[in-house]
Amino acid sequence: MRTNSKACITLTLALPFVLPACAPEQDCTDVCGTMITLTTAGVDAIVPAFTGSSNGYAIGDQMFLKLAEIGPDLEPIGDAGFIPELAERWSFEDPRTIVFYLDPRAAWHDAVPVTAEDVVFTFDVYRDTLVNAVPRDNLEPIASVTARDDHTVVFTFEEEYTAQFYDATHHMRILPAHLLDTVPRAELRSHPFTRAPIGNGPYRFASWTTGESVELVADPEFFLGTPGIGRLIWQIVGDLQAAVERMLAGDADFLDFLGTPENAERVRAAPNLEVATFPASFYYYIAFNFDDPDRPGQPHPLFSDPVVRRAITMAVDREAINAAVFGEYGEVPPGPISRGLWIWDDERSPLPYDTTEAKRLLASRGWEDRDGDGVLDSDAGAMQFELTSRSSSSSSRAAAVILQEQLRRVGIEVTFTDLEFLTWQTRGQAGRFDATFGAWIQDPDPSGLLQTWASSGGSNWGGYRNPRFDELIAQAIAAREREVARDLWDRAMETIQNDAPAIWMMTLQQAAAVSSRFENVAIRPDQWSAYLWTWRVRRGEMIERDMIGAR
Amino acid sequence: MIASVARRIAQAAAIVFLVATATFVLLQLAPGDPFSPQEESSRVPPSVIEQHRRNFGLDQPIHVQYWRYLSNLVRGDFGYSFSLNRPALDVIREVIPNTLILALAALVVDFSIGIAIGTVQGARPHSRVDDTLTVVTVILFSIPVFWFGLMLIMVFAGQLHWLPAGGAVSPAAYSALPFFGKIADRLTHLILPAITLGLISAAGTARYHRGAMLDTITQDFIRTARAKGLSERAVMLRHALRHAILPAVTLFGLSLPVLLSGAVLVEAVFGWNGMGRLSVDSIFRRDYHVVTGAAILAAVMVVAGNLLADILYRVVDPRTRVEGAS
Repeated sequence: MRTNSKACITLTLALPFVLPACAPEQDCTDVCGTMITLTTAGVDAIVPAFTGSSNGYAIGDQMFLKLAEIGPDLEPIGDAGFIPELAERWSFEDPRTIVFYLDPRAAWHDAVPVTAEDVVFTFDVYRDTLVNAVPRDNLEPIASVTARDDHTVVFTFEEEYTAQFYDATHHMRILPAHLLDTVPRAELRSHPFTRAPIGNGPYRFASWTTGESVELVADPEFFLGTPGIGRLIWQIVGDLQAAVERMLAGDADFLDFLGTPENAERVRAAPNLEVATFPASFYYYIAFNFDDPDRPGQPHPLFSDPVVRRAITMAVDREAINAAVFGEYGEVPPGPISRGLWIWDDERSPLPYDTTEAKRLLASRGWEDRDGDGVLDSDAGAMQFELTSRSSSSSSRAAAVILQEQLRRVGIEVTFTDLEFLTWQTRGQAGRFDATFGAWIQDPDPSGLLQTWASSGGSNWGGYRNPRFDELIAQAIAAREREVARDLWDRAMETIQNDAPAIWMMTLQQAAAVSSRFENVAIRPDQWSAYLWTWRVRRGEMIERDMIGAR
Repeated sequence: MIASVARRIAQAAAIVFLVATATFVLLQLAPGDPFSPQEESSRVPPSVIEQHRRNFGLDQPIHVQYWRYLSNLVRGDFGYSFSLNRPALDVIREVIPNTLILALAALVVDFSIGIAIGTVQGARPHSRVDDTLTVVTVILFSIPVFWFGLMLIMVFAGQLHWLPAGGAVSPAAYSALPFFGKIADRLTHLILPAITLGLISAAGTARYHRGAMLDTITQDFIRTARAKGLSERAVMLRHALRHAILPAVTLFGLSLPVLLSGAVLVEAVFGWNGMGRLSVDSIFRRDYHVVTGAAILAAVMVVAGNLLADILYRVVDPRTRVEGAS
């Protein structure tokens, strides 16, 4: 590369008006390119074992590898489609034992080889309650992890099930035993290592200014190949609209969520940007409370009746709401699943929008406008309820306002209350709501539905209870064959759709903004940055910041 | 004098103690805690959240937690940031330089422009210039700071490409810059947030100062100065301005803590890593010790701001010095 870039940048920053005079005249030969990613959420931790946030994983996964990575189709069934990472291969010794053979080329960024001891140590850390890693419970089915030799590690399961391989590989990013095994477990989260980690992935840690930015640099010695981009920088912006403006100004290269269709249109029209779409891993819902929030233990006067829940669902024109809030990117989910989940079924249709049928169903349960005030009545009183949402979601707020008007037209009065996120969450957990507008982010394994909608689920705020649904989910999780599991998940979705414990409002093709100078841009729905190390800047389209630190 | 200083110190300590207590208690009463999930993700199971609470002692009664916090505080330990897994003081200390830089730059914009406008208006009351500037300052004062910041970004960063759109430094280039390049880089990033914060505050300062000037120019000593044959410029700048600036001094002392902790919207728009944003983010995350630490710092700044105003008052108004001496 030419060496005039530094002087040029200094001059450019001091005197912005001379910017055009400093167009890059060079190209680099090896690792180059700088990618600035904007994020509106903070970064809590960058070692995956100690984070629970999307940002923490997006950054940490560039430095810490798993044994194997789930394939692009996101199917957690068996080991088909999984891509080797630290493990170059594996075998099932018996239905409850998986043996992983580590890639002998794999090394930590301090040049120490990755060994089976690191894997054993990592499992121990993830399971330790003093460390309390987020996926601790996901590892419960694993009875033991032992080292057979330096490069062979054996996972033994309590019992056989379809997502064994997924559980063995997806949750844990391997940690360096040689650097951490003497640190007391209670101190691991705040150990200096977590502020300047040494990993084994395609990128090495460079710097982290809390609340401002995180920088990683490519590891040219990475055993699986040379990363395509020289430097990755995450910059924290407090506001989505400000982030969009910065993208349009050319200050940054990637923003994973554009929020509104208007923003997507502006990005599409910008000469230096492109819109990349991918199936979102979250869905929006409005959950009905089955219990009366004012009379604990008593059924809700409206929502304990499945016919009323179905009628209300059918009175909502969800396609119109999706079109208004997300434009061409939104769609109605056929149950509590996001577009990116492998059990998504294009054949399954959501409950139709049919106000005539909705009114008929409500009338069949005694709901009619008796006093001519436009609101349905029954012996229980007027048909009105409160819909709560969290103020952090402008999409939910926009959708709720339209829904309020749609339900008013069929005689249902909805009062809308916007709450601060943790207040909303606390009220939800305590069951202090009539109906609540939320969203769930989903992992590739649909077993998370146990927590959100099964009778025993800790996040089943509305108190939906159907033993049949619980049983179908349990059977689907335990199934040993993909097609059997698929059929069981389908039946579970059909059951919950008929019960209508919630209105499944929206899922979407997520729109991201990406600089048009990048090529090989592949995005995995559950983790946009999964293939980031293979992205690269097109030769000949480098700009000033791409050349800093280039070789 | 010693008694006065001692009284001020005791007052300051009491204010800080009350602020710390109120902040701690109010936060604990708010729904949720530092380990409540910040995303609607089923990734974090309730069992993990409960274990976190036990590990960090948040399952203890509030008075036990508060006593432990106070005991640590008197030893200079501001507690722990649960969301960032670091000492709370480290987190706060990291943002203070950014906060001070922005606050001081905004104060310079605020008072230089505000006093200049107020002086021009006060010198020519009810003239066309006064009316025009009144309209301009009222409009400026009414503009939401958030919107104003976004407009400046769109024009100066998006359209003209003259200035960076946000952040305190250029993330890609900063580390490679020489010393003076780093200073230049910081200054270019400071311009838009300082103007956004300072200009809107300047509109308020101008209104205050116009009022003070109007009060001053009707007083006898101004009439005397004019009768002595001094030029109008000398009357305004040497006599009227010096007298009218006294209320602005008080305003200056009170503006400092407001700018330090109240720049949250500007910090959000420009991605400026400062106290305001840290405080608000920490409140949303229920990061108890960081919020309490930031509140203590804000209380100290209020006390210091008042003290600064008193000192400046004595500097610019000889009468207070004479009274003080007697």
